[in-house]
Amino acid sequence: MDYTKQIQEIATRLFAEDKIDVFVGYRLTGFDDNQVPALIRESKDVPLLVFNQKSVFNLSNYLKNDHTRNKRVGLVVKGCDSRSLNLLLTESQVKREKLYVVGIACEGVVDDAGQKMQNCLECMVPAAVVYDELLGEANMERRFIINADIQDMAAKELVQRREYFEEVFENCIRCNACRHSCPLCYCAKCCIDQETATLYNGANTTSSAFHALMTWSLHLAGRCVDCRNCEKACPSHLPLHLFHKWNERVIYENFQEHLAGVHEGDRGAFYKYSMQDPDDFIM
Amino acid sequence: MSVETIVTDKAGLQKFYEAIIAKNETYAPVEKFGKYDFKLVKNLSECDPESPIAKTMSAKPLFFPRSAKIMKYVATSAGTDVSETDEDPLAGKRVIVGMKHCDARALQVLDKVYNWDFIDTDYQKRRLNTVVISTRCDKAETHCFCTSLDYDVENLDAMDVLIVNGNDGKVYIKSKSEKGIEFLNSGVTSHTSRVTEEAAGEELKKQYTAFSASFRLKMDYKSINEKLSKIFDTPEFENVSSNCVSCNTCAFVCPTCHCFKISDEKVKDTGVRYKSYDSCNNGYFTLMAGGHNPRPAKYRRWRQRAMHKFVYYKERFGENLCVGCGKCTTSCPVNISIFEVINQVSK
Ligand code: SF4
Ligand code: SF4
Ligand code: SF4
Ligand code: SF4
Ligand code: SF4
Ligand code: SF4
Repeated sequence: MDYTKQIQEIATRLFAEDKIDVFVGYRLTGFDDNQVPALIRESKDVPLLVFNQKSVFNLSNYLKNDHTRNKRVGLVVKGCDSRSLNLLLTESQVKREKLYVVGIACEGVVDDAGQKMQNCLECMVPAAVVYDELLGEANMERRFIINADIQDMAAKELVQRREYFEEVFENCIRCNACRHSCPLCYCAKCCIDQETATLYNGANTTSSAFHALMTWSLHLAGRCVDCRNCEKACPSHLPLHLFHKWNERVIYENFQEHLAGVHEGDRGAFYKYSMQDPDDFIM
Repeated sequence: MSVETIVTDKAGLQKFYEAIIAKNETYAPVEKFGKYDFKLVKNLSECDPESPIAKTMSAKPLFFPRSAKIMKYVATSAGTDVSETDEDPLAGKRVIVGMKHCDARALQVLDKVYNWDFIDTDYQKRRLNTVVISTRCDKAETHCFCTSLDYDVENLDAMDVLIVNGNDGKVYIKSKSEKGIEFLNSGVTSHTSRVTEEAAGEELKKQYTAFSASFRLKMDYKSINEKLSKIFDTPEFENVSSNCVSCNTCAFVCPTCHCFKISDEKVKDTGVRYKSYDSCNNGYFTLMAGGHNPRPAKYRRWRQRAMHKFVYYKERFGENLCVGCGKCTTSCPVNISIFEVINQVSK
């Protein structure tokens, strides 16, 4: 999966036709073979753009950025990224006509060790679902798999789960890299930002980490698209997907196989309250 | 000051660590979720004093905790009663093993600000009661550039005991302070032999030469200081910070950052006041009560980070507020490298 050439051509064309102000793609870090998000504002920098199985970051996170707000933006999205983009559109965070979306029919991305990421192995929607142009073939049929770690967790006794998560909360340093790296965390005043936190104090205690991460994961329940930006960002390497995948499974099983952001205009599961909704999974 | 130099082998070093842990309240890098953080240990098997550089958190929280209780209060109809908090868990006599050199030197840098206009007595007490044992690294990691800064291998006065894995397969343990001498004579080295400084000197030099040759990153910090001080308005800051997501990570993992905020945890009429980390890269850092924010844009906040580290602190305290440990870069969600930032803006 290498679309470097195609993406450079598209970006060059968009700048030449004056269709965009900024192109959000990937470039090499400059010190290893990993990549970082690149916000290209001039056509002379287009040759920096790359795309391959190391293009991990979900770039729709940059639609809340200083450099893209109210601008015409070119954007590269893989399957998961396009689902969060879909939600941002549905939740009126971006205007479709301001975007030129380069969709990728994704074959999966790899971690630092070169192993295909777990979310990619289990991915239900690898090809972009919203795009102006699609690179690759969108012919991949997948079926819902309960995440392997969630199966392990579900097999544990409640006390064991509690012990496990206590260690998670103890090792959280409350840096909020998770929240800032999540494309769907766009609130200008976030309830878990320590500076504006009113739900609990802003200290770095186990109880504050508990409240922050629980609140955060519930705000993403039915919206999280499993891109793992948050988990890759965490300096303590905490297994944050456990929160999100647990919620994803519960929602999939209880709310008509709901998967976040797959269909245009489809709102998050929690926006669609109905008296017929099941509630027997609560506690 | 006389110096104690001890020579032993790898097995002797393990015994040294075991003796330390058995006799002292000891903190060491403990692995959890693939990352090492300094925790109180009871056995050598729980920890790894030679934990990998890129996976080890700074030991700064043992001196400047991520969150510390600073007072308690009770609101009564007659007013508010303020009281001291419980005993500081970090103030007792203790030993830290497994700190990297950069991390130990960061204490030397932090000492200056904590001894400045306001003497932080909690910090002082923790420093005074701690024996810092630090191993010189054998090989630099991708983002290390400690030797490019004010790093003076002979004068790392923030540590008490230095450990060097010689290229000759031997391990050298050397005192660096009075506290260090006293510590080495407290029954933790009875299984080892003493050598003269000269006998060890040659090997220590050789090790340092090999170590300093292993750096990918090298720079002349004096010219960076000089250039940065003149380019406050360079538009380059906008480019280098464009993909920053404005989290707090770089500052929270940095061994020299020392900004904090105050918050209260209040239940009904009683409360605890906390002092916790803050970071100039988040959008609220300079937000004022009236709503004005002098650093609303990301590039201004990144400029503050670069300038505080390589201009302002240097001007006031004579040292860079960066020890080149690379922790910020390794932990950054988008791998922004402070080394690249300062070199690129001052190009
Ligand atoms: S989760 Fe799916 S779409 Fe996202 S990177 Fe992995 S394979 Fe690609
Ligand atoms: S919570 Fe994490 S995995 Fe889910 S959308 Fe946000 S960044 Fe991606
Ligand atoms: S990124 Fe990790 S350490 Fe930071 S707040 Fe989130 S969970 Fe905690
Ligand atoms: S700024 Fe980065 S490299 Fe410098 S001391 Fe802090 S964490 Fe280390
Ligand atoms: S760089 Fe920023 S967070 Fe770190 S000490 Fe300076 S002002 Fe504080
Ligand atoms: S860790 Fe990286 S993304 Fe976060 S504030 Fe620092 S430079 Fe920006």
